[in-house]
Amino acid sequence: MSAALRLVLPPCSPDEVAGVWRADQLHQAPQAVLSSGHAELDAELPGGGWPLGQLTEVLQLQSGLFEWRLLLPALKRAVAQGPLVLIGAPLLPHLPALAAAGIPAAQLLRIDARTPAERLWAAEQVLRCSELGALMAWLPQARPEQLRRLQLASTHTQALVFAFRPEAARHESSPAPLRLTLRTAADEQGLSIELLKRRGPVIDRSLSLAAPLPVMAALRKRRPLQDPGHAVDRPAPTRPTRRQLQSA
Amino acid sequence: MLWIALRPHAPPDASSRAHEPPPTPPEQQALAWWGLLFSPRVCVLEEAVLLEAGASLRLFGGQRVLLQRLRDELPLAGGTGLAVAPTALAALALLRTLPAWDESTPVPAVSCTTLRLSVTLDVLPLTLLSAARAHEDVLARLGCRTLGDVRALPRGGLSRRFGAALLEALDRAYGSRPEAFEWIELPETFSARLEFMGRIEVAEGMLFGARRLLQQLASWLLARQRGVLAITLHWEHDLVRRGELSHGQLPVRTAEATRDITHLARLLGEHLARLTLPAPVLAIRLDATETEALETASASLLPEEVREGESLQQLIERLSVRLGADRVLRGQLLADHRPQHMQVWAPAGEGVVSAKAPVLPKHLQLHPPWILRQPLRLTVQGERPLYQGPLLMLAGPERLESGWWSLLSSAEAEGEELAQRDYFVARSPQAGLLWVYRRRSAGEPAWFLQGMYG
Repeated sequence: MSAALRLVLPPCSPDEVAGVWRADQLHQAPQAVLSSGHAELDAELPGGGWPLGQLTEVLQLQSGLFEWRLLLPALKRAVAQGPLVLIGAPLLPHLPALAAAGIPAAQLLRIDARTPAERLWAAEQVLRCSELGALMAWLPQARPEQLRRLQLASTHTQALVFAFRPEAARHESSPAPLRLTLRTAADEQGLSIELLKRRGPVIDRSLSLAAPLPVMAALRKRRPLQDPGHAVDRPAPTRPTRRQLQSA
Repeated sequence: MLWIALRPHAPPDASSRAHEPPPTPPEQQALAWWGLLFSPRVCVLEEAVLLEAGASLRLFGGQRVLLQRLRDELPLAGGTGLAVAPTALAALALLRTLPAWDESTPVPAVSCTTLRLSVTLDVLPLTLLSAARAHEDVLARLGCRTLGDVRALPRGGLSRRFGAALLEALDRAYGSRPEAFEWIELPETFSARLEFMGRIEVAEGMLFGARRLLQQLASWLLARQRGVLAITLHWEHDLVRRGELSHGQLPVRTAEATRDITHLARLLGEHLARLTLPAPVLAIRLDATETEALETASASLLPEEVREGESLQQLIERLSVRLGADRVLRGQLLADHRPQHMQVWAPAGEGVVSAKAPVLPKHLQLHPPWILRQPLRLTVQGERPLYQGPLLMLAGPERLESGWWSLLSSAEAEGEELAQRDYFVARSPQAGLLWVYRRRSAGEPAWFLQGMYG
């Protein structure tokens, strides 16, 4: 049987065929990626970074938590190529902080689409834009076939495409080639990432990233948030009690 | 010289319009404008449109390529036949030999080279030349059926008997006398009207007709080297109810001057989809209300990386039309120390904000990337505020007092007083780092959530 097969099939290894990879290796086919800025994460992502022109699904317990900490390093580079579009953002982006972090206000477009259908429609339209740098869409109620449309639309762009969904969707099937859950780490400081799906072997441990914001470094140095020189000429307010301030 | 004669669609009901025929039927004019895409020398001669494309051959890649392109695109422009000849009258005569076009086949076409011009013309019936058709009966009694027969008659006698006009037309057709025509010129402003064959009941049905008018607009813009900033679509309702109803109109604006009619058609479609017509529509008119000179980039010799898709400006316009302009937003930084006044969001479709971004003080990078639209009042347990668990204060306070200069705006006044706030960075067991403040004015102190670090 195997001898007969060997006669029929030309000898080839999976490495020689585009789009095929061994199940125990990371997919290393030439694919455009953008480094995530977190070394621990890059090591586990196929190609070594966030895929460009592919839908990446981020599952989170609560929308509005940790997105910027995870994505800011990559987004900073993506906005150099084109605008960052937010669809259905759960909170208001605070432009001064984002501008200080490297995302200029002029490069950020906010689309307040309310119904799920509007969000999907807007996301699909945005993906047809040739100048797009990155898309962040909050799609709590998207169905797999709708995500499939988005994934197909994403392949025509060279942008970062992130869909944020509730963690309850982790057991649904999804056409996104990369899926991960995003939570706070056990020590309440860093982030904990679980790669649910990737082009490569199954990974059963969760990654922990430091992903610090500037404010954390400031907290560690126990620097006051602002120079006292800027304070107003009034008596200091009653400080929080010692109990509240313990163990920063 | 390469003369191309184009036959326009027959007017929908020529008989009813006969009492007052317009100087140029709109179908013919539309075709003539379309012809301007290929050559600046376009004229209207009797029922046909003639263009002299001899000087444009190189631009379009040769005679064969140009003619193939003309033939392929002719149905869209409203043409039903094409004839090519070295002289204008010969092209017109050849055009008249073509059969009627039935829509399933390619557009009928005929051509004749300079070498075979006189041979071809000699065998054509003399009625195909308008100057000869006027004397058809007399010529027939003389035994002439073809143009060749007429040409064989003695020139002196022909001129005395039938006038100089016939001889001149013959000479022009055979190319032995120069021809002169009045080239068409485009009007200063664009306005085109289209009557429908039937009544249009649904607003979206007008889009089909509007597309044809947009096609004309494209030719006009290209020939005038302009881009359009605003167009208005007018429609006329059924005569029956003219007394009670006014005619409708729909203005559409673009932020940047454009010549891209697919984009304009998409914008029109989005608007029309949301419209209900009070009565059936009989005719539409498209006006270009605002145009400006548009420079196009010259094509590059080297192949470039072509990025498919539409531009950001087009995207913003389309999203704004469907969702509403107030929901496609772009933010702008303001130089203000109060967190709720550091940014302002304006519709992104309203052009580029030119104001220079203020230089931000360094400590702003310590602010959270998310803030709440309205601060959320936190419940307090003992002395500690709660948000998904008791909060642990990590840093603070940072005291911010609001501006007395904007006390009148409601966002500044908390109760009757100025906002006076002490900001803290706190940690919640579930929600990570938070940015909270304690209100010091207006009654009892209370805690609010202002932003989230994640």
